[in-house]
Amino acid sequence: MTGEKRIREITAWLLAGMVLVLSLGFALLPKKTFSENENRYLAKFPVLAWENLRSGQYMSDISAYLSDHFPGRDSFMELKTQAELLQGRREIGGVCIADDGYLIERYEEPVNTEKIGEILHTFAGKIGDMEAADGRSLNLRMMLVPTAFCILADYLPEHLPESSCDQMDTIGRLGELSGIRMIDCSSSLREAGMNGQIYYRLDHHWTTYGAYAGYLAVCQELGFEPVPLQEMNAQTVTTEFKGTVYSKVNAYMLPGDTITIYTNPEDRLTVNYTDTETVSDSLYNLDYVDQKDKYSLFLDNLHSLIEITNETAESDRELVLLKDSYANSLVPFLTRHFRKIYVFDTRSYRLGPSNFIGEHPGVTDILILYNMNTLDSDLGIRAIY
Amino acid sequence: MVFSSIPFLFFFLPLCLLLYYAVPFSMKNGILLIFSLVFYAWGEPVYIVLMLFTAAVDYTNGRLMDKFGTSKPRRRLFLIASVTVDLAVLAFFKYADFLTGTLNRLLGASIPALGLRLPVGISFFTFQSMSYIIDLYRGQVPVETNYLTYLTYVSMFPQLVAGPIVRFSAVNRELHSRRIRKDEAENGILRFMQGLFKKVLIANQAGVLWESVRALEMARTSVATAWLGAAAFTLQLYFDFSAYSDMAIGMGWMLGFHFPENFRYPLAAVSVTDFWRRWHISLSSWFRDYVYIPLGGNRAGTAKHLRNMLVVWFLTGLWHGAAWNFVLWGLYYGVLLILEKYVWGKWLEKLPKGLRHLYTLVIVVVGFVIFTFDDGTALRNYLLLMAGAGGNRLWGGECLWYLKNYGVLLVCAAALAFPIYPRIREELKKLPSGGRIAAACVGAAGYIALFLLATAYLVSDTYNPFLYFRF
Repeated sequence: MTGEKRIREITAWLLAGMVLVLSLGFALLPKKTFSENENRYLAKFPVLAWENLRSGQYMSDISAYLSDHFPGRDSFMELKTQAELLQGRREIGGVCIADDGYLIERYEEPVNTEKIGEILHTFAGKIGDMEAADGRSLNLRMMLVPTAFCILADYLPEHLPESSCDQMDTIGRLGELSGIRMIDCSSSLREAGMNGQIYYRLDHHWTTYGAYAGYLAVCQELGFEPVPLQEMNAQTVTTEFKGTVYSKVNAYMLPGDTITIYTNPEDRLTVNYTDTETVSDSLYNLDYVDQKDKYSLFLDNLHSLIEITNETAESDRELVLLKDSYANSLVPFLTRHFRKIYVFDTRSYRLGPSNFIGEHPGVTDILILYNMNTLDSDLGIRAIY
Repeated sequence: MVFSSIPFLFFFLPLCLLLYYAVPFSMKNGILLIFSLVFYAWGEPVYIVLMLFTAAVDYTNGRLMDKFGTSKPRRRLFLIASVTVDLAVLAFFKYADFLTGTLNRLLGASIPALGLRLPVGISFFTFQSMSYIIDLYRGQVPVETNYLTYLTYVSMFPQLVAGPIVRFSAVNRELHSRRIRKDEAENGILRFMQGLFKKVLIANQAGVLWESVRALEMARTSVATAWLGAAAFTLQLYFDFSAYSDMAIGMGWMLGFHFPENFRYPLAAVSVTDFWRRWHISLSSWFRDYVYIPLGGNRAGTAKHLRNMLVVWFLTGLWHGAAWNFVLWGLYYGVLLILEKYVWGKWLEKLPKGLRHLYTLVIVVVGFVIFTFDDGTALRNYLLLMAGAGGNRLWGGECLWYLKNYGVLLVCAAALAFPIYPRIREELKKLPSGGRIAAACVGAAGYIALFLLATAYLVSDTYNPFLYFRF
C-alpha cells in the first residue's frame, strides 16, 4: 500500500474515532443543569409519554438535550464564532459586531405591538376609573427605552442592510394605542452618549450612566430637580462583566465591561424583597459580582415586588414602578424623590398591580418602564393589570 | 432525523454501525431494518404506517404477479393495481389540497382543505417502491419473496428521505449478499464527511444569506443584491441536496451497498440539457425510464415528442411539491429543453465555453427563483427586480455588505461547485512520493479541522433546515 493511501485510511478512522470519543464523552461526563455562560437552564432528558412520542415533541426534546450537554459545548460555540469572524462576518446570529468593541443585537420586527398597546390601554383605563371613583390624582407615565441598535446606530457596521422596522416608530405607536403620556429618553441618551458609555458593550442593558440619562428624562417630566451625578457616590464593582449578548456570540477575545454603581449618600433606605421576605439597606447585591450574570446585582435580580422606603426622601410621593430589568439600575437615582417605591416585576407578580394601586391610596405616581429589546416578547407586560 | 444533526451523527449512526458490524450476515438486514424504522419514526411517528403500507402493497402485488401472472395481461392487472394504490396514496397525502384548492379557484367551488401534513420522504419511497413493481412486470428483476427484505429496501435510512432514488434493480443483489470491504467503508466515511461539510458549512451558510436577502424590503433592494440572493439560494440547494446524496452514498459504502451517483457538478453544465444530465440524476432517469420512454420518447414524431417532453416535465415539476410554482418550474425546463433540441442547440454549441456556462447558470438561477417562491405575486416581483424592471438601483451598499460578510463563503462554494477538487487530486497523483504524502497529510488535517468546525456549527444550534419536506 502506498503511503498516501495509508494516510487516507488513517484519516477515515481518526474521524470515526472522533465521533466515538465525543459520543462516549457525552455518555460518561457529568451533566450540568445550568449554563453560566448562556445564563439559562439546560434541557432535561424528556419524560416518555405517548402524547409526546406521537407529536414528535419527545424526539425534539432529546435533540435539545443532546445538544445542550454536548462535550465541550462552550468551546465549540467559540470555535464557530471565530470561524465566522475570520470569514469577515460582521453579524452573527442577529448580533452585529459593531465598532469600538460593541456587540449590538438587531431589533427584531415586533409582532405584538397592537396587542401590547391594547393591554396598556386597558391598564390606563383602569387607572382612569380609579381616579374618577376615588377622587385621586395619579401621574401615569410610560418610558420605553430604545436599545443600542437605535441609539448607537453610528457604531453599527458599515453598509448593514437597513431594518424594515424602527424602534422609535414602535414606541410612538404604543404611545398612540395606549393613550399613556410618554417620556422620551432618546435625546437625553444621545446627549449622554457623547460624553460616556450608555450601553454595555457585551450586554443588552444600559449602563448606570445610560440609566442616569433616563433618570434625567424622568425628572424633567415629573418636575424634579435631578441630583447631579457628582453628588452621588460612585463605585466600580467589576471590570469583567460579559453579559447576555456576549453569550450569544462567544467572542472570548473581547474585554469585559465595567459596572459602576451609584449610591446617594443622603438616602436612608429600607429595601424589602417581599417575595423572599428579606430586608436590606442596599439596592445592590454584590454577591453577583463573582457570578456570570453580574447585571443581577442591581436590585438582586428578579423579585415580583420590592418595597423601597427612603426615610430622607425629598417628598412624600409614592411611586409604583412597572418594569423590566432596565429599571433595576435606574431605581438608585429615583429613591431621592419618592418616600416609597413599589417595584413590580410583572413577569412574576400575579395579583395585578392595578389592584395594588387601588388598595394603596398613598400612591401618587405610576411609571411603566420597559426596554425595546425584550418588550415585544416579554410576557410580563400581559399581566400588567 | 436529519443526517446533519447531533442525534444522528453522534448517536444513531455509530450505534447502528457498531451493531451492524457485530452481527453475522444473516442478521444485518434485520439491524438495518430496525434502525431504518426508528430513523423514520423519529420524524414521522404516525405516518410510518403509510410507508409500511406502500411497501406491503407492492410486495404483495409482486408475489401475486409472480404466482398468478401467467400471461402478460394478467401480469399487467397486478401492475395496475399496485401502481394505482401507490399513486393514490401519494395523491391523497401530497396533492389533495392542491387539487381541491385549484378546483376551488377555477370553478369557484368551496371544497374544504384536508390540511394533512405531508409525510417526509413520501415521494422518494413511493417512487422507489414503484420501480420494483414496474421492473418486475418487465421481467427485469426477480420477485422478492421476503417482506422484511423488501421493507429493508424501501425504508433503508441512508436514502429514505432525500434520495438518491435507488431502484430495486440497483440493490437487489446486494440485499441478499454483499461484501463489506474495509477500504470501501473507509472511503464511505470520507464521502459521508464531505457531504456533512457541504451541508453544514456551505449549504446552511448560503441559506442564511438567502434568507437575509429575502427578508429585505424589495423596494429598497438593489438588482445586484437580488441576483446575489438568488445565486445564494442556488448554491444552498445544490450543496444541500448533493450533500444528502454524498452522505447517503458514503453510508451505503459503509454498509456494503452501492447507490447510484445523483449529482455530477450540475452548476458546471454548458447547456440546460447538460444540466439535467447532472442534476438529481436518479429522478430524471426514473422519469425517463418509467414515463418518457413508455410514452414513445422521441421515436414517434415531433408532435408526440413535444407532448412527451411536456408531460414528463410537468410531472417532474409536480413531483417537487404540490404547488403551481413547481409545475411552472418543471414546464420552464420542458420548454427550454425543447428549444435547445429544436431551435438553438446547434447554435449554442458554437459559442465559447464561458458564454455557455453563463447561459446555463442564468437559466438555472432564474429557475430556482421560480422554485422557491410559491406566492405568485412575490415571484413576479422578484423576477422583475432581477430583470431590473422594477426601477430599483442596480447596486447598493447592502450588496457590498453581503459580499464582505459572505465573500469567502461564496468563493469557496463556487470553487467546489466546479470540478476543481477532482482535478487537483489528479494533479497531486503526478507528484513524487514525498509530495503525495505531504498532500495527503494536508488533506487529513483539513478533514479533521472541518469536522471540528462542522460539529461546532451543529452544537451552536444554528440554521439547519431540511429542505425536502415538500418532496
